[in-house]
Amino acid sequence: MNMLRQIWIVSALNFRSLRGRLWQSLVIVVGMACVIGVLLSMLSMTEGLHSAYLNTGDPRAVFVISAGAQYEGAGSISRDKARIIMDTPGIAKLADGAAIAEPGLEVSVPGRLRKNGARAGIILRGMGSKGAALRQEFHMVAGRMFHPGRHELIVGVHAKDQFEGAAVGDKVVLPDGEWPIVGAYSTGDLRDGELFGDAETLMLSVRHKTYNSVLLRLESPGGLPAFRRALKANPALNIDVMTLHDWNVKRSADFNQFFRIIVYGVGILLATGALFGCFNTMYSAVAARSREIATLRALGYGGLPVAVSVILEAGVLSVAGALIGAAFAWARYDGVIDGFGGDIFRMIVSPGMIGIAILWAIAVAFLGGILPSIQAARRPVSDALRAT
Amino acid sequence: LRGLRYLPLVWAAILRKPMRAVMTLLAVTMAFTVFGLMIGFSATIDGVEQRARADRIFSSARFGYDDGLPIAVAHRIAGIPGVKQTTVASYIPGYVREQKNHVFLSMADADMVKVFPDWQVSQSVWNTIQHDHTGIVMSRLQALRWHKKVGDSFTVIAPSPAKADGTTSWTFKVLAVCDDVALAPDGFIFGNYDYFDKSLPLSAQGRINEVDIVAADPARSAAIAQQIDRMFANSATPTQTQTEKMAYAVSNNFGGMDVDTLAREIALAGLLMILFLTANVIAQSVRERFAEFATLRALGYGDGVVIGLVVLEAVVPCLGGAGLGVALAAWLAHHMHAIMPPSFGVPMPTMSAPVYVGAVVSACVLAFASTVLPAIRLMRMDIATALSGRT
Repeated sequence: MNMLRQIWIVSALNFRSLRGRLWQSLVIVVGMACVIGVLLSMLSMTEGLHSAYLNTGDPRAVFVISAGAQYEGAGSISRDKARIIMDTPGIAKLADGAAIAEPGLEVSVPGRLRKNGARAGIILRGMGSKGAALRQEFHMVAGRMFHPGRHELIVGVHAKDQFEGAAVGDKVVLPDGEWPIVGAYSTGDLRDGELFGDAETLMLSVRHKTYNSVLLRLESPGGLPAFRRALKANPALNIDVMTLHDWNVKRSADFNQFFRIIVYGVGILLATGALFGCFNTMYSAVAARSREIATLRALGYGGLPVAVSVILEAGVLSVAGALIGAAFAWARYDGVIDGFGGDIFRMIVSPGMIGIAILWAIAVAFLGGILPSIQAARRPVSDALRAT
Repeated sequence: LRGLRYLPLVWAAILRKPMRAVMTLLAVTMAFTVFGLMIGFSATIDGVEQRARADRIFSSARFGYDDGLPIAVAHRIAGIPGVKQTTVASYIPGYVREQKNHVFLSMADADMVKVFPDWQVSQSVWNTIQHDHTGIVMSRLQALRWHKKVGDSFTVIAPSPAKADGTTSWTFKVLAVCDDVALAPDGFIFGNYDYFDKSLPLSAQGRINEVDIVAADPARSAAIAQQIDRMFANSATPTQTQTEKMAYAVSNNFGGMDVDTLAREIALAGLLMILFLTANVIAQSVRERFAEFATLRALGYGDGVVIGLVVLEAVVPCLGGAGLGVALAAWLAHHMHAIMPPSFGVPMPTMSAPVYVGAVVSACVLAFASTVLPAIRLMRMDIATALSGRT
């Protein structure tokens, strides 16, 4: 208890004299603000994209694609194979007995981004009669649904805002003419950055002979292993079966690992720089306080409260800087919708990320403050009192 | 040269607090490491845009990139007036051993070297690949990544396109390793299109992913690109054609995200971080030695010399840190391929003129900005008060 009281008194005294060291203290605050501002700005993009992948699709959806295909466009499933897959027992049924399953088709349509005119492909996805049942969150927000068999498209709420010529009423040029956009939908995930059209009509239009994948829902989530065994038993199919969620995890794993190396690499370099700055600041803060510290020690205060007060000062300044940096990143990027490599997603600065930022700040303060604090605690009282 | 005699004075000032000098130097080094990586990255993507040739044109399937085009499209393009040379290529997107090891092979026909003379594949190397059908040529980066040398075999697993023999593996022989080119920052592998085509089932043969074209007149390449797209607009396989300049424009990369600006902003944030540090260190150092400066003034040294000393005291850690930082960035950039997931297609930083010039200029700006306030203080100094130590 006595020790805590001492820490409290020494630290309070220290913080009261902080104003005299204002400019020096700003080194830590600005340094940490830069580190965390950069870190969270980069993370807002990478984590936004990653979480968009993880949250895309109905959690119950199961995804079937050619064995080893690394992206959906690389999948090739013939009509016959698709039929066999969709007739396999274990698939959930609608009230009328129809299987909740349909083949999927993905086509990239050349587009331009509104913000800077950059060329970027818009994903045009084929959707069948089970498409809405397979995507629980799917709902129309404007206009109407396309009519099956007609040359009509619907556009996701993000695609409509991000791409030129993708608003309801606009027309998209496909091989057999212009397809009007008759409505806008939302699914609340990555699909909001895409276009949907009737799968069979689209397939004829772009003259594809095979589908890319099959999307389906099982009667029970536990049925996946049995379903997979049934499909794998037919070697002619040569497919991979997994939950849609697992497919998305797999899809995002590569770029996520890559981005993490870059983001945390740059973050660690900058944080190391801030650490050296913090060390310098605390070193001179201890020097400036040497008389005050010596007086406290002469009065009987221990070395530990003095050391703790140094680290506390570094910590408070560092966390304050981190919060400024986090506020900057949050104000600038949180909720901003942007595109990267054809995906349209919402950037995020989450409380969890701000938590990480604060941990970084504490780590930098501790590592940067530990040597100066030891020096402060160890300095012989007589020397310090004589110091000018 | 007269200025050199002041160096011991500057050195002594820096070494007054050796720990502080080292810490400052290290902090500046870190900031310039980030600066070097970011500006180097930006230089890479700018370099790609600048080096992109105006006379080269790429054409691929407008819808369903992976399904490709019939080879007849290439023959019709070759007949367009103003087209000097064409070549075709198909891709093998696959992996090595594990799915995470992405690899990408371009299988091109005999005319590849005529369309890509600026790439480092020589006519003689390409001739050997025309004779030895399973041969491939790898750029150094790819050879390094897959630990391959001339004579090694290289097996790629590719689920698509489906092969006639029903297997998914392709085994090639590395016949040559060549230099990398700025236009392919992730390196490249070229193989033989005929061999690729003959390995497919009969029904899938005769298709290509890409037609690459050289226009006789670079000024007409954009017009030719449009002409090609008009020509096939109502065909079974419409084309998507663009000039190399367009394809490699920075703004069109990364799906429209402005990574160039982002990289520069990160570099600036690092500099801002250390500006506060160096400015404080210099201010502190001047404050501690105020009486010394007053002595110099009392001895008759002018404002210029005194301020010059302070500027030099800032220039040493700034330039030193910039040098160390850029060196560390160069080292990291050189070894980055080893820690990155393979074949991500993302350009690595290049340490080129913009990095060096930028680092020197930034270091000087940093040093001057750090000395402005202390210098003003020194100029306004009242010698008598300063000498007495009552500052």
